[in-house]
Amino acid sequence: MAKKVCMVVSEGTFDKAYMPLIMANTAAAMGDEVHIFYTFFGTKLVTKKANPKLPGMFRLFTGMFQKKMKAVGIGNYMETVQQARDLGVNFYACTTTMGLMGVKESDLLPGVKILGAASFLKLATESDTTLFIG
Amino acid sequence: MQKDATLDAKGLMCPMPIVQLAKKVKELKSGQVLELLADDVGAKEDVPAWCSRTGHQLVGVEEEGKLFKFYIKIK
Repeated sequence: MAKKVCMVVSEGTFDKAYMPLIMANTAAAMGDEVHIFYTFFGTKLVTKKANPKLPGMFRLFTGMFQKKMKAVGIGNYMETVQQARDLGVNFYACTTTMGLMGVKESDLLPGVKILGAASFLKLATESDTTLFIG
Repeated sequence: MQKDATLDAKGLMCPMPIVQLAKKVKELKSGQVLELLADDVGAKEDVPAWCSRTGHQLVGVEEEGKLFKFYIKIK
């Protein structure tokens, strides 16, 4: 039976960008309804310019990680986002932190909805599980 | 084992075998059997989990060295 899965993403690094997408794409492939809420540093991940790097010194190895992932069938960041959209994953940007992070509505990827905490909590409390990727 | 289609997911790691499997079953009709080839160790647990969640029936699993062959009957 289909389940409802919510995720909160509050960081914008490469690892925190991919992990929820991989979970989301797997859940959607299992027939689940998936909602991902991006807040704080995560909001950058749902903008057209998103290009996440590994954290700290590891940022230098981002390309190498990407190459290794490509070899096992996982596309680059935008391809993985597109795959999620094709699978019907719902993306949300947190209204308050968009202001903090300097993200405008026109910067968002098409289909990303802007949501406040109350609306997300409604989704989360009605869902079967909520994962926090922080 | 008798099969109607094959999905070759060799070389792909989690979650790609599952993502491709979900796409592939949409092309098949109820009662048909899909053979899935995968060599990701995670697939051994993931494919049965996917089947139990989606309702498609896992009718057989064969292991040949590092290769897994899953036979899935479409619901």
